[in-house]
Amino acid sequence: MATASPSVFLLMVNGQVESAQFPEYDDLYCKYCFVYGQDWAPTAGLEEGISQITSKSQDVRQALVWNFPIDVTFKSTNPYGWPQIVLSVYGPDVFGNDVVRGYGAVHVPFSPGRHKRTIPMFVPESTSKLQKFTSWFMGRRPEYTDPKVVAQGEGREAQPG
Amino acid sequence: MEPQPGPIPAKMNPREEKVKIITEEFIENDEDADMGRQNKNSKVRRQPRKKQPPTAVPKEMVSEKSHLGNPQEPVQEEPKTRLLSMTVRRGPRSLPPIPSTSRTGFAEFSMRGRMREKLQAARSKAESALLQEIPTPRPRRLRSPSKKELETEFGTEPGKEVERTQQEIDSQSYSRVKFRDSARKIKPKPQVPPGFPSAEEAYNFFTFNFDPEPEGSEEKPKARHRAGTNQEEEEEEEEEPPAQGGGKEMDEEELLNGDDAEDFLLGLDHVADDFVAVRPADYESIHDRLQMEREMLFIPSRQTVPTYKKLPENVQPRFLEDEGLYTGVRPEVARTNQNIMENRLLMQDPERRWFGDDGRILALPNPIKPFPSRPPVLTQEQSIKAELETLYKKAVKYVHSSQHVIRSGDPPGNFQLDIDISGLIFTHHPCFSREHVLAAKLAQLYDQYLARHQRNKAKFLTDKLQALRNAVQTGLDPEKPHQSLDTIQKTINEYKSEIRQTRKFRDAEQEKDRTLLKTIIKVWKEMKSLREFQRFTNTPLKLVLRKEKADQKADEEAYEAEIQAEISELLEEHKEEYAQKMEEYRTSLQQWKAWRKAQRAKKKKRKQAAEEHPGDEIAEPYPEEDLVKPSPPEPTDRAVIEQEVRERAAQSRRRPWEPTLVPELSLAGSVTPNDQCPRAEVSRREDVKKRSVYLKVLFNNKEVSRTVSRPLGADFRVHFGQIFNLQIVNWPESLTLQVYETIGHSSPTLLAEVFLPIPETTVVTGRAPTEEVEFSSNQHVTLDHEGVGSGVPFSFEADGSNQLTLMTSGKVSHSVAWAIGENGIPLIPPLSQQNIGFRSALKKADAISSIGTSGLTDMKKLAKWAAESKLDPNDPNNAPLMQLISVATSGESYVPDFFRLEQLQQEFNFVSDQELNRSKRFRLLHLRSQEVPEFRNYKQVPVYDREIMEKVFQDYEKRLRDRNVIETKEHIDTHRAIVAKYLQQVRESVINRFLIAKQYFLLADMIVEEEVPNISILGLSLFKLAEQKRPLRPRRKGRKKVTAQNLSDGDIKLLVNIVRAYDIPVRKPAVSKFQQPSRSSRMFSEKHAASPSTYSPIHNADYPLSQVLVRPFVEVSFQRTVCHTTTAEGPNPSWNEELELPFRAPNGDYSTASLQSVKDVVFINIFDEVLHDVLEDDRERGSGIHTRIERHWLGCVKIPFSTIYFQARIDGTFKIDIPPVLLGYSKERNMILEWGFDSVRSLSEGSYITLFITIEPQLVPGESIREKMSNMLKKFESQEDEKLLQATEKFQAECALKFPNRQCLTTVIDISGKTVFITRYLKPLNPPQELLNVYPNNLQATAELVARYVSLIPFLPDTVSFGGICDLWSTSDQFLDLLAGDEEEHAVLLCNYFLSLGKKAWLLMGNAIPEGPTAYVLTWEQGRYLIWNPCSGHFYGQFDTFCPLKNVGCLIGPDNIWFNIQRYDSPLRINFDVTRPKLWKSFFSRSLPYPGLCSVQPEELIYQRSDKAAAAELQDRIEKILKEKIMDWRPRHLTRWNRYCTSTLRHFLPLLEKSQGEDVEDDHRAELLKQLGDYRFSGFPLHMPYSEVKPLIDAVYSTGVHNIDVPNVEFALAVYIHPYPKNVLSVWIYVASLIRNR
Repeated sequence: MATASPSVFLLMVNGQVESAQFPEYDDLYCKYCFVYGQDWAPTAGLEEGISQITSKSQDVRQALVWNFPIDVTFKSTNPYGWPQIVLSVYGPDVFGNDVVRGYGAVHVPFSPGRHKRTIPMFVPESTSKLQKFTSWFMGRRPEYTDPKVVAQGEGREAQPG
Repeated sequence: MEPQPGPIPAKMNPREEKVKIITEEFIENDEDADMGRQNKNSKVRRQPRKKQPPTAVPKEMVSEKSHLGNPQEPVQEEPKTRLLSMTVRRGPRSLPPIPSTSRTGFAEFSMRGRMREKLQAARSKAESALLQEIPTPRPRRLRSPSKKELETEFGTEPGKEVERTQQEIDSQSYSRVKFRDSARKIKPKPQVPPGFPSAEEAYNFFTFNFDPEPEGSEEKPKARHRAGTNQEEEEEEEEEPPAQGGGKEMDEEELLNGDDAEDFLLGLDHVADDFVAVRPADYESIHDRLQMEREMLFIPSRQTVPTYKKLPENVQPRFLEDEGLYTGVRPEVARTNQNIMENRLLMQDPERRWFGDDGRILALPNPIKPFPSRPPVLTQEQSIKAELETLYKKAVKYVHSSQHVIRSGDPPGNFQLDIDISGLIFTHHPCFSREHVLAAKLAQLYDQYLARHQRNKAKFLTDKLQALRNAVQTGLDPEKPHQSLDTIQKTINEYKSEIRQTRKFRDAEQEKDRTLLKTIIKVWKEMKSLREFQRFTNTPLKLVLRKEKADQKADEEAYEAEIQAEISELLEEHKEEYAQKMEEYRTSLQQWKAWRKAQRAKKKKRKQAAEEHPGDEIAEPYPEEDLVKPSPPEPTDRAVIEQEVRERAAQSRRRPWEPTLVPELSLAGSVTPNDQCPRAEVSRREDVKKRSVYLKVLFNNKEVSRTVSRPLGADFRVHFGQIFNLQIVNWPESLTLQVYETIGHSSPTLLAEVFLPIPETTVVTGRAPTEEVEFSSNQHVTLDHEGVGSGVPFSFEADGSNQLTLMTSGKVSHSVAWAIGENGIPLIPPLSQQNIGFRSALKKADAISSIGTSGLTDMKKLAKWAAESKLDPNDPNNAPLMQLISVATSGESYVPDFFRLEQLQQEFNFVSDQELNRSKRFRLLHLRSQEVPEFRNYKQVPVYDREIMEKVFQDYEKRLRDRNVIETKEHIDTHRAIVAKYLQQVRESVINRFLIAKQYFLLADMIVEEEVPNISILGLSLFKLAEQKRPLRPRRKGRKKVTAQNLSDGDIKLLVNIVRAYDIPVRKPAVSKFQQPSRSSRMFSEKHAASPSTYSPIHNADYPLSQVLVRPFVEVSFQRTVCHTTTAEGPNPSWNEELELPFRAPNGDYSTASLQSVKDVVFINIFDEVLHDVLEDDRERGSGIHTRIERHWLGCVKIPFSTIYFQARIDGTFKIDIPPVLLGYSKERNMILEWGFDSVRSLSEGSYITLFITIEPQLVPGESIREKMSNMLKKFESQEDEKLLQATEKFQAECALKFPNRQCLTTVIDISGKTVFITRYLKPLNPPQELLNVYPNNLQATAELVARYVSLIPFLPDTVSFGGICDLWSTSDQFLDLLAGDEEEHAVLLCNYFLSLGKKAWLLMGNAIPEGPTAYVLTWEQGRYLIWNPCSGHFYGQFDTFCPLKNVGCLIGPDNIWFNIQRYDSPLRINFDVTRPKLWKSFFSRSLPYPGLCSVQPEELIYQRSDKAAAAELQDRIEKILKEKIMDWRPRHLTRWNRYCTSTLRHFLPLLEKSQGEDVEDDHRAELLKQLGDYRFSGFPLHMPYSEVKPLIDAVYSTGVHNIDVPNVEFALAVYIHPYPKNVLSVWIYVASLIRNR
């Protein structure tokens, strides 16, 4: 910008990807990244990360605990395009291939303070039964070209034909 | 003193404490725990002090103090503590002493004694020390009200004693105790026994006075009656240390504390003395101060301000109240205060703004409500229960309905509607037998009769008639003198007419009665006959005709009198009528007579006329209408009238001798039992028995209840007798009963719907009459028994005549009423619900627009009413109404008669539209969201307007302004300017059109999914599983592709690997006129005689000294970054170097679309490094090296970034673009025979460089766009045949299946976005005649010239101009008009020219380097195929190794498409014979013959001759601009122009154009040498097509000619523009630098 120090506001995000509930799967790890608008820029911290592999807890909860820290600071001039955190969870399938187990996104909370968010996770389905089988068999499930699409609205409108 | 509840926690076990403390420390972070911890800590801190066992030595205590939270645990402490705690527990309580006291008493006493001793000892010590701290006795302040009873209650309590001693010591160490006490007070008391007055505690807390001294004396009298001797003593000897031991320990502790405190304070004092200077306080005499204040301060007087001061001049105060307006109650303000305020305001604000019309300060009405709105505060005495009585309320279900929902203003509640359904009678039913039909008819008639009888209208009318007659009689009575005759006459006339009327009515009624009676009798007779006929009875109906015998004589008299009266009246009427008629007759007779007279006169006249002109008769102008002579009316005859009257009477009236017949219908008849009936009847009765009926009650079209199902009786009556209570909340909209009939066990059928009226609000239960509502059904039923059915015609007659069709019908008797609640209030929804909902709505939202049009009419009425009732507009109670009125009266226009969606938009607009538009930030955001190119990827729009510079918009605004202004400055040539504008507009429109497409995502764009595997792939993968692992077999690993989104600046690098070059031009000696170069300017390398002698014999001949031919190096420049290789030697250098250039995307946007539109070009320039010895003096040669490095440009290769991006890598040998004349260098002489290259190079001349270029990391090119586009484009209209389009799809799919990498093109998009079949573009088109004339006999030369002409049309890739969105094909005429296009357009034009020249030519689609997928032209000439590059004009043989075309996808001719299905696609290895179907798959074949598509190309191309003058002018301007630029690039040096050389060059350039840069070098060189022999000369002509000035400048700049900084350098620059037809310009720029040899 032309001025020496344009006014910005900062958004500091501290937190962690605490745990997950994937009743069917085990040994998962997760990736996170942020999606934000044009007026936003990260100033400090990590914009994306990949966690360790976690196993299910042995108790009744069967929780997959990562406690994977998130620490990032954004600067922005416009609340439009407020950052969203995009999470994608991966884990091995029966044959040991790494396959995606869930995508999900949520906006970084708008109000300061401690927030807890539970994100429902989902994966794209195969287009046909046969493909479902082959993708399962070959360990190449359908994936998003970019996990960030789950946080974007582009092209979501109903398509003719 | 107040008894301390402090020791209470002492009962806590120290062990416990410890644990507590530790845990507290653990939970320190917890915020919640924090408070508790503080409390506990304070508790803990205090505890050790108080419950220190007496045995503990002071030292220990100190140590304890030092670490507060960690009390030591002496073993002996335990019991003591417990003891103490026991006492203490009871201590301050109001409980009576319990027996345990006596037990513990001893121990306590001993302890107390010890304490006292210690205290005494310590006292003497401490007294002196603390003396100064003893505060003066303080005045007593508040006292606890409950002090007295407290004291009395535990006066003897040992714990109390402890307290006392403490208090005494308190007096000595005041400050300390104060702190402690207050701290103690804060401490919560968890152990408070129930019943202890907590309020008192609270009171103490707030009012506690820490004055210890006067306590004792005061307490004494209060405590006396309960207090024991101990206390008495204690109180007396206050100064003495208490004898009891209990206080001792505390005492000591306090002392210690005191010491500590003292030390601390002393120390502090000491320090303070050192630093604080003491000075006497400033004193100002009160007099002075008052004086000063008087000057400074304004004190408003308290005098009442006279009214005239508060009002403007000459204005009388006006009291609105007196005028009857509402003003509201002013808040109470004291008069003096008001005066002060008024005075102040008058002083402060002389404009009197603060005063109202009445001369008082403006004030709002008193806002204070007279009654509190808060619930009363509970006092302690009152039980909570009394105040907080719970009230049970039933849950009310909220009913949401758009209409008639109870508004908040209306009383809520449930309303009840009682529906009583008593029964149902069928007036017709399919099961009716004929008798039933008659019975129903009879019943109906009887009902009618009864109804008529009840009303008895005939009687009423008869009476009325009688009365009227009487009136007439009396009216005619002459004994009424006071009435004027006129009026009497008038009334009599009125009466008479009325009599007439009434008589008519009466006659009609009587007749009706009679006919009804007759019908009844007739039906009854029919019924009787029917019963006889069928020999059974079905209905119990029985009609009895009762005869009433009347007095025959009186009857007869009355009858006769009646007739007489009627006759007389009629006579009278007739008389009147007669008189009237006579009058009429007379007048008409008069008229007739007059007419006759006139007629006669006319006839006479006519006769005369006829005699004169006999022919005129025909022309008789008016037809004679004969007036009939009126006949006089006949006088009425009485006899006739009488006859009439009697007849009528006989007809309609009971004759006097007849008895009065009264029919009585009864159900007394007996029904024939079943066994006596015929079969059909029995089955009918059975059928009836099977049937049952029930009703459904529907409220607002929703079923709310239904009656029980009742069987149909033999009399077709159903009795329900049910009452339904409907609990409702809404005003009912409809109430419906549905009649259902069930036959046997079948499902019920809906017979009919009955709509019940919603009762009036006055109709409540108990008062509602039972009403009958008729219903009928249109069902058609035919039955096989006696039943007549429904909707089916039947007849009573034997012959079937007189058919009757009856429909099922009936009556429901019911009553609907509003229920009455418990307290007698009818449960009716308020009327306001029904229609006036708008008032409450108005109350809520005062936005006018929220009022719908629905309430408009009512509103007007209301406004009228309000205006009439003269409401006080100022009364707040009327405010909503007044607002309503203002709405209504402000005119109809104000109330909109339209519906507004965002009615409150105006309210929510926080800023006006204009202001919003003025905001720069908003504008920026708006433009960005519109994706205006300048702002498309604008990042970080500043927060404030002031941070947005105006210049941000400048470019955009300029563009907007210039949209239609053609600027010639940039383009020089007006035509090209227009074209550029046009192109810009096309580009914009195309981009706009495809913007949607960009957001059109296919599944593949979002999701990566494996394709459906076919058998081969599956099998292959299965096979792979079984395959042996071969770990040693090397496998190529693909580079990981990177999606563009995650990238940022510096992530992407462009790797340029320069491998080697062939046939670089070599130097020629600067042969001067003198043949011997001066020493100083000798080539530096000349000295190195030992340089490898790889030169050819020719060189040896040329150069006397052995020297390096050339020292080339390569410089790569990209995005203003320049890298160069090391210098190699020789004409075939091998560098093998990798250069790394950073890549920056425009605006830092690494999206695919953005990367595709990067227009940057990678320049690869080859230079020759020349070292010049600059030594002036040979003598220094031995001691130093002084050389100057010069670089001479040899040629360049340009590769657009977009090509690299789409190709991912570029690997190959490129022809170096070397200027046709390179002074000082020789191109053609460098063939070195020994190397054996000539066999290859014999055909293609030039220098080549081998390059490998790629992007690291590999980017995923936006390939999907093409697919997407093809999908998208199907939506665009196409004029092609649908079948053809399907065929193209099929063809393409087949081709793609076989050879997915080979380009196959069948349809393309023309410039208007329509899909066009590709062969339509190919058609012979005439090249400019001018070109054909050059070599009339040499076809090959002409072809080359044409190719050159085509190549001179500037190249502009579609991907750049259309942002990678699509590839548009323009037709050749459009292309020539635009003068810009990419390979396809060039190729199409060239192919068309060749076709017109009679060659066999095809469009060749394939891949080439560096362009990637491109279009070439293939021609067949004299037994060989030639491949033409349309953009450069070069042609290659099929087997030319250096041909840039690398693979061939398909060939396109004017009438077919051939797809390459050969194994190889390299032009070297394929056969171009398209007639062989095994090698080429043709689109049109026998199965799909060529339909003869007409071309989209024009019939003929028309060429304008180019304007030579304009070209010359352009030439001058370009030359000027370039010269200026060169001077600009040399800011630190003087640039001299050698005019002589320039003119030489200028003459030379046309020659170059003519010969196309061939075979002129030698002559040119010779000429130059002749003229500029004493100059060392380096320079070259540049040749390029002309599009804009900028590329020319860039080209000149890239040669680096200007970089020479030899002081005496001179420059020469010449420009030549050769115009070709259609404004195609060939530009030659000759740049040279000259250094004078000395």
